[in-house]
Parts: sequence; C-alpha cells; structure tokens
Amino acid sequence: MVAIQLDGVSKQYGSITALRNVDLTVESGEIFGFLGPNGAGKSTTIDILLDFVRPTNGSATVLGHDAQTESVAVRSKTGVLPDGYHVYDRLSGREHVQFAIDSKESTEDPLDLLDRVGIADAADRNAGGYSKGMTQRLVLAMALAGEPELLILDEPSTGLDPNGAREMRKIIREEADRGATVFFSSHILEQVEAICDRVGILNNGELVAEDTISGLRASLETDSRLDVTLENADNGAVSAAEDVAGVTSAIQDGSMLSIALTRESKYEVLAALDREGYSIVDFTTDESSLDDLFAAVTREPRSAEGHTEEDAAAAPTEVEQ
Amino acid sequence: MTWVAVAKKDFSDAVQSRSLWALSAFFILLSLGLTYGYSEFEFLSAGTETTIGGLVFFLGGIVGLFVSITSIVICYRAIAGERELGSAKILLSLPHSRLDVLVGKVVGRTAVLAVPLIIALGLGLSIGIIVIGAGSILSAVIFLGWTFFFALVYVSIIVGLSALVSSTTKAAALGIGFFFIVEFLWDGVAFVLLFVANGFSLPTAAPDWYFVVTQVPPSNAYFSGLVALLPDVAAAVNASTGAAGFDAFYAVPEIGIVILCLWLIVPISIGYTVFSQADL
Repeated sequence: MVAIQLDGVSKQYGSITALRNVDLTVESGEIFGFLGPNGAGKSTTIDILLDFVRPTNGSATVLGHDAQTESVAVRSKTGVLPDGYHVYDRLSGREHVQFAIDSKESTEDPLDLLDRVGIADAADRNAGGYSKGMTQRLVLAMALAGEPELLILDEPSTGLDPNGAREMRKIIREEADRGATVFFSSHILEQVEAICDRVGILNNGELVAEDTISGLRASLETDSRLDVTLENADNGAVSAAEDVAGVTSAIQDGSMLSIALTRESKYEVLAALDREGYSIVDFTTDESSLDDLFAAVTREPRSAEGHTEEDAAAAPTEVEQ
Repeated sequence: MTWVAVAKKDFSDAVQSRSLWALSAFFILLSLGLTYGYSEFEFLSAGTETTIGGLVFFLGGIVGLFVSITSIVICYRAIAGERELGSAKILLSLPHSRLDVLVGKVVGRTAVLAVPLIIALGLGLSIGIIVIGAGSILSAVIFLGWTFFFALVYVSIIVGLSALVSSTTKAAALGIGFFFIVEFLWDGVAFVLLFVANGFSLPTAAPDWYFVVTQVPPSNAYFSGLVALLPDVAAAVNASTGAAGFDAFYAVPEIGIVILCLWLIVPISIGYTVFSQADL
C-alpha cells in the first residue's frame, strides 16, 4: 500500500519555481523524513498534499485519494501539524481539541489527547496565552484526534525544548507502532536520523535523494572525511590529494586541506602528500555524519573556493508563503 | 457536511469576545430607547396612532442601518482574517471543504449578530406591547423573523466579500466600500445610472426599472420586504416603498424579498468561487 504518491509535481509562484517535477512515494506504515534547507519547498509539498495550494503540474495521491479533488477524504484520515499556523486565541486548549474531534466525527475525550502531549493541566486556559512549545503540543493533540491513518507533521519540533522534542519522537513512534504512516519535514538532521525509516531530501524545489539512511550513506562515495594540516599547503597539495583514487574532493582552507574520500584511501592520501614534499603537521578523520550527507546532496558541486554549510542553507530560493 | 463544527467553533470564539457583549448591551439600550421614544413622543410616530405595528416600522427603519454596520464589523475578517493570521491552516487541516468553511462561518456569525439583535428587539417589542397595548403580536413576530433573515443576508454578503481576499486590510476596504457605494451613496449611483441610461439628460418621468434600482441596497430591500409582509400595518402607519408611482408588474414591495434573496446567494457564491480556487 502506498500512503503518499507524488507524480511529476511542480509548483510555480509567479516567476519563482517552488517545486520542480517531484516524484515521491511514501509506503504505508513507514516513518518518512522529509529533509531540506529552509525554502527548499518542503512546506509547499505539504500544502499540495492538503490542497492548501494547487500544483501547477503533476498529481498527488494521498491514501488512495486524489489530493485535489478528494481533499476532504484525505484530510478525514490525516492528522496534520502545519507550519506557520496560528491558534484561536480566545478558545481553550480543550475547545481546540474538541473542535478537531468534532470535525473528524470522532468520540475521544479531549483531555486524554491533551494528557498524551503533556498539557492536560492547561486544558482550560485560553490558547492565546500558551507558550510556543505548548501551542505546538496543542496542535499535535489536534492532529492525533480520530486515530489518523497518516500524520503529516511540518517541522514538528519547532518551539520545543530538547525534552519536548524527545516526547514528540516518542509519540511519533507510538503512532507508527499503531500502524499510522508518519510523514514529517525537518531541517534538523538528528531527529530524522533517530526515527526515520526512509528520508527524502529536497533542495531548490527538486527531490535530490530518496532512500534509507544507510542506503543514502552507501550510495555516496564519500563516507569519510580527512582534515590534514600542512606546513606548506598550496594548490599543488589540493591536486596531489585529488589525484588519489577514492578522493571526491579536496578543499584548501588556509593551512588545512579538507578531503572527502572513501575510508580505504585515507592512508594513500597521507602517503601521497608526504611523497610530494608536504609536511603533515596534524590530521583528523571522521565518519561522515548525516550532516555531511545532507550537505553533499544539497550543495552545488564543491568548488575550490569552498562553500560553508551556512551558504548551503541560505542559497536556495526562499519562497514566501 | 462538517459546517456545524465550524459554526460552533466560530460562535464559541466570538462569544468570548468582549466586543460581542458590548454590542449586545448596545442593541438592548438602543431597542429600549427607541421603544420608549416611540411610545412617549408623538412626533416620532408621525402623527398616526401609536400601535405595535407603528413601533415595528419605526424600529425597522433604524435596524437596517445598524445591521449593515455591525455585520461589516463582525464579519469582514471572517475568512481573510483566518488566512492572514494562519488559523486557516488549522481549520483546513481538518476535513472541512471550503464550502463547509463558508457555510459554517455564515451560520456562526449570523448567530453572533442575530442572537443579541433578536433578544434586544424582542425585549423592546415586549415592553412596547405592555406600554402601548394596541396592535397584533403577530406583526411583531413577523418583524423579528424578517429581521433575522436580513441579518443572515448581510452576514452572507460580508463573509462573501471576506472570502475574496487574503488580507484583513483589503477585506475591510471591501466591506467599507460596499457600505458606502451600495448603502450610503446609492441614491447618487441610481441617479447617475438614470442620467446615463437616458442619454446624459434627465427624463421627465423615471422609467419603471428605476424603482428596482432604488431597491438594490439591502436595507431598502429589507424595508420593502417588511411592507410586503405586513401590508395592512404598513398602510395604517403610512409606510411606503415608493413603488406607487410605477406601474410595472415588478414595481411592488415584494421585489424587496426577491432582492434580499439574491443578496443572500450571489455574493457568497462569488466568494466561494474565488476562495475554492485560491492558494492559502
């Protein structure tokens, strides 16, 4: 069974392309992490799944229903924690959850749901006075109403402290154990790594990767990084390192060479640099983290000048929502 | 259809607003004041005998203005406000169609406007019945029912306008613009239409269609409808719609009922068409 299917989805806002020909499949029952820097098009994708916006091209199917023509059927089986929402300031937490329960034509006790997200004690206070974290928990409780088959969570840990983020992950796991499919977007990698079965990475409106995390690691040649500090680093050192088999890139930053490479070629690189007359002051090596994977797939091909990670996060076209 | 949940939510939200209670208090004071004024001061009853029917038409003449202004205040943010703030994302994450949202909003806001209005008018009329003691209670009941319908129509118009735009500034401009052109300045608009249609000169006698044009403002249509619903009372208190000078089959007070029904359907349908295709 397929929970979410995107076929060639594009979305154009005037002259800005928010999504470009995205194909994506999320299987029923999996926890799918939807990654990408801010402005990559994650929220636009979610907005299309919920029929908040209409795709310029392509089609989206959610739980077997067309996301545009059968949106009410989609949303009756889906719990949503949207992005950039605002609660009703004058309604209490209990009234919010009751509204979600009524809308889903369900019969739960709103207090049970509020208890699950840890804000039962604030049930009768107006949501306008809630902190950001409490508001996030409240809207999660609304999303859980009616035991949805699918949970769509847009940046769920926004506004949560580490404790809150951990509770959020626990609830996501519980929902998945119940049999629900969970689709959530994030730009924070640790959360995704901790609980996702599979991830999709979106960059600049394009899906650049869709795989399991281990599969993603394996698919990238560079699974290690070697930082070498040289007494006399220069372009020649960069070329020497890049000539070694297994090296994908070498960037010079002052006296340091940062080399992306396969695990097996580390020794060979050090040997080659030594052979070329560069004296090695120090070196460190580490397994590439998900951050590196993320950077590797969302970044333009590395150039000699080098991009910082901040560049990668800021460069994509920001789409005003 | 989940509009009931939307209407309930919308009403409970508004009920907790202080301005609703201020509005209710204002309506009650206004209604009691008007009743008192009508029964005490002869010049307000225009020389006719003070009756419940007379009070009904006296109140009806003023209700038109207050319903139009208060429904703009209560409703201009109905859809645009939720879109601007982002609560529309919560509302539409739940399984409501956009039609459910509009219908729920119209019903919820009608309750917000009509409940205090009907209570206030009912109170004023009850006291009027006790003080004046003449005239039929039925005319008072018909008046309350028709006024309720008028409130529903006005709410539907303003919610329809609110559904056209995604910012409250634009929604406020639409609401205020509507009031000025269709209510406040309509006599001038009708006059210009007549002038233009007659080849940029004034006719010696107004054509029949001109009567229909004068009935376009919802508050005029409401008043004419009241005359049509209570013809005997209207005749007794000299309430007239100006239809007498025209002899076309449609130049009758009943046109007010037709026009109000159109106001109920047309703006909200246009609002729905735009809103249903809009990106949030």
